[in-house]
This record gives sequence, structure tokens and C-alpha cells, in this order.
Amino acid sequence: MADWEPKIVSFFCNWCTYGAADLAGVGRMQYPPYFRVVRIPCTGRMHPKFFLSALREGVDGVWVSG
Amino acid sequence: MEYERILSASGPTGGHLVRLSDKKEPKKIAWLQCIGSRDMNRCDNAYCSAVCCMYAIKEAVISKEHSGDDLDCAIFFMDMRTHGKEFERYYDNAKTKKGIRFIRSRVHTINPVQGTDDLEVRYVTEDGRILNETFDMIVLSVGLEIPKEIVELSKKLNIELTSSKFSKTGTFKPVDSSRKGIYVCGAFQGPKDIPQAVVDASAAAAAAGEILSSARNTLTKKPEIIPEIDVMGDRPRIGVFVCKCGINIAGVVNVPDVSKYAETLPYVEYATDNLFSCSQDTQDKMAQLIKEKGLNRVVVAACTPKTHEPLFQETLKNAGINKYLFEMANIRNHDSWVHKDSPEAATEKAKDLVRMAVAKVAMLQPLKEAELQVNQTALVIGGGISGLVAAKTLSNQGYESHIVEKDSTLGGQAKSIYKTTTNEIVADELKQLINDVTTDSKIHVHLNTTIKKVDGFVGNFQTTLVGNATETVIPHGVTIMATGASAYKPSEYEFGKDSRIITSLDLDQKLINHDPMLKQLQSAVFIQCVGSRENNRLYCSRVCCTHSIHNAIELKELNPNMDIYILYRDIRTYGERELLYRKARDLGVIFIRYSVNNKPSVAIQNGKMSISVTDHVLNRPIIIETDLLTLASALIPNPAEDLAQFFKLPLNEDGFFVERHAKLGPSEFATDGVFLCGTAHYPKPIDESIAQAKAAASRAVTLLARKNIFTSGQVAFINPVNCSSCGICISICPYSAPSFIEKGPFTGKAQINPVLCKGCGLCVASCRSGAIHHNGYDNGQIFNQLFAITELPN
Repeated sequence: MADWEPKIVSFFCNWCTYGAADLAGVGRMQYPPYFRVVRIPCTGRMHPKFFLSALREGVDGVWVSG
Repeated sequence: MEYERILSASGPTGGHLVRLSDKKEPKKIAWLQCIGSRDMNRCDNAYCSAVCCMYAIKEAVISKEHSGDDLDCAIFFMDMRTHGKEFERYYDNAKTKKGIRFIRSRVHTINPVQGTDDLEVRYVTEDGRILNETFDMIVLSVGLEIPKEIVELSKKLNIELTSSKFSKTGTFKPVDSSRKGIYVCGAFQGPKDIPQAVVDASAAAAAAGEILSSARNTLTKKPEIIPEIDVMGDRPRIGVFVCKCGINIAGVVNVPDVSKYAETLPYVEYATDNLFSCSQDTQDKMAQLIKEKGLNRVVVAACTPKTHEPLFQETLKNAGINKYLFEMANIRNHDSWVHKDSPEAATEKAKDLVRMAVAKVAMLQPLKEAELQVNQTALVIGGGISGLVAAKTLSNQGYESHIVEKDSTLGGQAKSIYKTTTNEIVADELKQLINDVTTDSKIHVHLNTTIKKVDGFVGNFQTTLVGNATETVIPHGVTIMATGASAYKPSEYEFGKDSRIITSLDLDQKLINHDPMLKQLQSAVFIQCVGSRENNRLYCSRVCCTHSIHNAIELKELNPNMDIYILYRDIRTYGERELLYRKARDLGVIFIRYSVNNKPSVAIQNGKMSISVTDHVLNRPIIIETDLLTLASALIPNPAEDLAQFFKLPLNEDGFFVERHAKLGPSEFATDGVFLCGTAHYPKPIDESIAQAKAAASRAVTLLARKNIFTSGQVAFINPVNCSSCGICISICPYSAPSFIEKGPFTGKAQINPVLCKGCGLCVASCRSGAIHHNGYDNGQIFNQLFAITELPN
């Protein structure tokens, strides 16, 4: 398990978390490179199908933040 | 300022909180307030710098958040001045929840502790005890002052300065310098924080706009419009531009590798890398390449779309491509900057992000933006000083406005105020202003009028007014909220039970009427913070300290033998108002501090009124017999729930409107086309209300000056064939964009007004019939992005 690297898809609201992730970059905060961000206009746009589709594609986790 | 740099991630220690001398992590930090402010002994700055109290609290809170609860933060202060919006709550939170120690004292000496880098603070408490405490670090809250060069520049420009060397301005002309045509804003006008400086800046722009309005649009050039190439139905031909951003990206991510990889992706015709994609020459080169290679979709892998998307979209437009056929892969903020120790993984991530962006852009379709005509009229709600100034500012710039006032006269609270702090008679100035407004052919005043209904949106509002039993519909392009605030009617301190107990505004009325009883008074008492800074009204009313002190001086001048007592919690005479506080003390006004847990009490016996209060120096109760008790009652916002709902504006828990951005957007709302000024935003004195009224008008002109505006193309739309008329979209939309079609073949089905739609996608996700689609974020587009995620490295 020690070498295991998860694949996580992150759905970020354009107005808050996406901007926060940008700021994390500006602040040079370091985190593991496991996430792939999908920018959405608002977490209101999140549809259950997106979770299912991502899991079916083989990701280990789905992170929605907004 | 130096401490701010230490806390900053881009500062000398990379955001790590250490003592600079020996790199030790501090366990105890002290902040010393009023360094170089409110001090005539060590410097000549008698004024209060207005911002340092809040800065110190903020720095202490951030330090605690940074270093954990073990860090001991102490702030040594004289009066805690958290008079700004939401500041009192922040102070309360710092004190009660964050455990920051607030020590009321003036520090006498700082001595180095032998053999260490620690410092010993020697201070006197209020009850006269001398204490010593050792700290690892001391932050001096150094005040603001005007640099010598600016004083010299002012002399050259022939601008008059105050005794504190700030630019001299009048209460009714807060951004006009003493010289016509020169306007001032920011801390040069007086020490102030960011929101106030931003308000001033907009106000100064409005003042300049007023005298230049005849020249508007005389020097503008129209940009050349490049006809858009129709790519509908064409096979995608994608161009990928990978940015090095100097070494920001290329220092971690292998950029040539990513661009080479991009060439292998489906539908990619061309891929390259740039040193700085955002530079003008690269932009021109990109536009050239789009044309040369016949590209019809573009991916830029660079920084964040939040800042750079509009720039690259402009490049697409210049190349004749619809600006929505564009996607960014964020390989800087989300990649190179945050994975600097894993270049290989970062390169893989960059490839993934590019692949996902390519997959999405292939599915994007050209979008149209709705073009809106902007109605050139403004609706100003509230006929107090703010509303009047806003309308007058608009008129001076050539725009028509309607003022709606529920009362039978104009003037609002200013009608009850005697003098400004700089001794201008408010009634005289107000009379002039009302006269200017009522004789202005561009301003229409609606008295005894309220608002019944609001339809429409930015550029095209239709508001129904009800006045004198008739309804009128006013079409307007923008709205300015100036609904104001009123004095709280106290229920405490025996108010209403004796005619000698009055509010600050009652005292103003007596001063206006030159009431002979004032001269006869042997003693007068003021109680501060009546209804402010406690319980459910946890905000400072900002104006009352200065108001009471100014009135105390008026009374002293009427009768120098009168004994005057001001019972206060903290004196908040920010900026040059501090000079009034000093003057009052010089005149012999006695200031006694009380604590919120031990408030003064009022007793009336045999016709004699006495007030008992615990003196903060003697620490024992004293009884003051008095002829007049003035209660400095809170300013509470006028009820505006209806209006908030009509225009979809947020109110905070105290009932004040919430602006677009606390610091950078203080005079406007998040709702397009609606602006804010005066005490409806937060309690403030006349000069600040006028500055904000001008600022709101200035922000409104940025819309009015454009004849038409474009809305975003990234909105939701409904395929009526699939719609089952369930109404879910109509009930959940926060912007009232969907409605049922009333006529034609699709009667009863839903439709979305693209102008009202903000593109949040809530309805798209909620539609049970799959009838709603999202331009730019449609299911197919997001799915395609997700399908491209699978090639994650393993």
C-alpha cells in the first residue's frame, strides 16, 4: 500500500474552490499530484452521472468542492 | 508592514513564522498600538491612524492560525478602534474564541533580556500597577503619515493641507482639494483602510467625470471587428499552445515533452510551446498560426483561466474564431507551482490536463452572446444625502435619474443633524443640495412613494412605484440603493421616562433651535454605545463617539462652567477626529470608561437625576448628578427586506446590505446593475456617505456610458420538446431565469432568459427530463473530459 497512488477527480466550483486551488499555487503550497481538476460553473451543476462516469473510468475517488 | 511580509508566502521566510535574528519560532508575540499615532510627545502625529487596531488583530489571528493555539498573542492598546463593517465581530471573535489577549495600557519601556533575543515589556495597568512581561517578538503598529515629498508636491500644486498634513477637504466635498480641478483619494485625504480608499477612488473618478462629461467619447477609437468564421459542423482542428511561463512552468514541467505529446492527441492539428503566452507578440503569433493552420479550436496550457481566459479569448476573436471554442489547462497554479519536488509526476499531470482539455474543446460549439441596450436612466432609492448626491453626480455627467423617497420631504437623517465635525451647518448645505436637485431637469423626485414590484435586469429594469394612490412604471438601466439608517430608540437608561433623558439627535435639535435651557445646564452626561457593540447588535455605529464629543464641545463653548461627563467603552475618534477628542479633554470634558458587564445606571429621585458608574481609574462607583443625559444611540438600518428581495440583494445579520466585495467592491452589489451607498451599507458620517454616493454613481456610469452590454454565452437553454413542464427549474433558479412559455406551440413548457441566467447549471443538473443543456458545460462536454482521465499513469 505504501507505493499506492490514488487517482482522484476533483470537481471544483469556478467561483470558490477553483480560485482557492489557484491561490494554493500562488502560495506555493505543496500537495501530492493525484488530483485532476474538472472546472464546473457551480457545484449546482454536479450531476450524479458525473460521479458514476468517473468511477466507471477507474478513478479511486471523486472530490466535489464548492 | 514588516510582519505582514514575514507572514506572506512570498516573504523572506517563505511564510514561515520565525524571529529574524535567530530563526527561532516565537511562542509569545506582543503588538504595541498607537506607535507614531495619537502621540504629541515622541512625534507630532496627534491624529489616529484608523487602520492599525484592525491590522494588529488580523495579524494576531493569522499568526494563531499559522502557528497553532500555543502561540500567545497580546495586543497592548489604549482604545480598541474596530469601527469598520464586520470589524467588531472580528474583534469579539479574536477575544472570546481565538484567545488573543487585549491589554489596555500604554507600554512604558522595552528592555532586551540579557543573553537572549527576548524582550521585556514594562507597562502600567489601568489601576496603576507596574507589570513586566517577556515576549519573543514585538510588532510595532506604526501609524500612517504623509511623506515629506508629498508635502512638498502639495506646496508646488498649491493644495492646502490640514495641521496633520493630510489634504484639506470639506465634509460636503470629500474628494475636492482646495484647488479646483484637483481631486484627492486614499490616505492622502486622511488615514483610512482599503474599502474607504476604494470608495474615495471611485468618488474622485466621478468628480473628474463631472467636469469632463462634455468631452465623453470624443477621443475614443472603435476596435476593428473581425468577421467570425463559421465552423459549425466542421471537423475539429485543434491547436495546443503550451506555455513555459518563463521558468514558472518550465522549471518543473517538461514543456517540450507535453507539447510533443499534445500533437498525438485526436483532432490536434498543431501544438507548440511559448515562453510567455500572454505577451503581445506571442498573442499576435498565435492569431497568425490559427489562420495559417486553419485551426477552429484552441487549448492553452498555462496559468489559470480565472485571470487569463479573457485575454486568450480576445486572441481567438482577432483570428476570426468564436471565443467560446477555447479551453485552458491549468498547468501552473494547479501543477508546476504545487508539485515542484516531483517534476515527473507534474509532467504526467500536465499531459493529463492537456488531454482532458483537448477532449472537451473538441465538443465545444460556438456560442452567441445576448446584446442588451442599456436604458440610460437610473433609479435612486432613498432621498437622504447619499441618494441626493448620487442623483446629482449622475446628472452632472449627463444622465437622468428618479429619486424615490418614502417620506414627504428630502434630506433623510441629515435634517436632524446640527453641525459637521468641521463646523459646517448641515441645514444650510442640505438646503443648497435639495435646491440643486429639485431644480435639476434631469432629476425626477417621487416623494411619499414606495416600490411595489421590480421586473427586468441590468440595463432594462421596470420598477413599479406607488405614490399618492397611483402606480407608475419607471424603466431604468441601473439602480442605486441609498435606503439609509435611523437612530435606535433606546429602551435602556430610563429613556422616555424623563424629558431630561434624550438621544444625540434630540440634543442636535436643541442646538439647532438654540434652546435657552442648554446655557443653564450645570452638568451634562453622555452615555456611549447605547444599543451598539452588544448582544444582537454586535457592530460599532461609528459616528456616535465623534458626535457626542463634538456636542460636548458645543456645550462647553455655550457655558464653560458646565460639568460634562462622557461615559464610554472605547473612544473611536478615528483619523483627524482624534483632534476633537484632544480638544474636548483640554476643555475639561471628563471621560469615564465603563465596561459592558458593568453599565452605568440612572436613578431619578425627588426630581433629581443621578447616574452611577464605576470609574475605571479609581475602580469604585461614583455618582454624578446631572441636568441632561444624552444617549448616543445606535444607527440601525432602515428595513429593506422587500427591496432586497426585489433586486436579489443580500442583507447581513444586522440588516445592512452586503456589497460585492468587502474591500474591492464596496459600492456595488454582486447583482449586475445595482449599486450601494450611504448608511444602508454601514453607519458612516456625512463625508463618507457623500464619497460613497459619488462612488456608486461612478460605478453606475461605467454601465451607463456603454450603450449596450453583452451577457455571457455560457448559459443554460431548454429543448422544449423534452420538457415535461414540471417547474423544478423555475422553483430552484436563484436568478428567476426560467419561466413557462405563455404563447405559441410550446405553451406551458419552460424557457430560460439568457440575460438573467448566470450559468450556474443548477437547473441542468436538476432537470428530470434531460431537457436543459448548458452551453460550455454540457453533459457531453464534461463526460468527454472524464473519459480522457483514464490514461492516468500507473
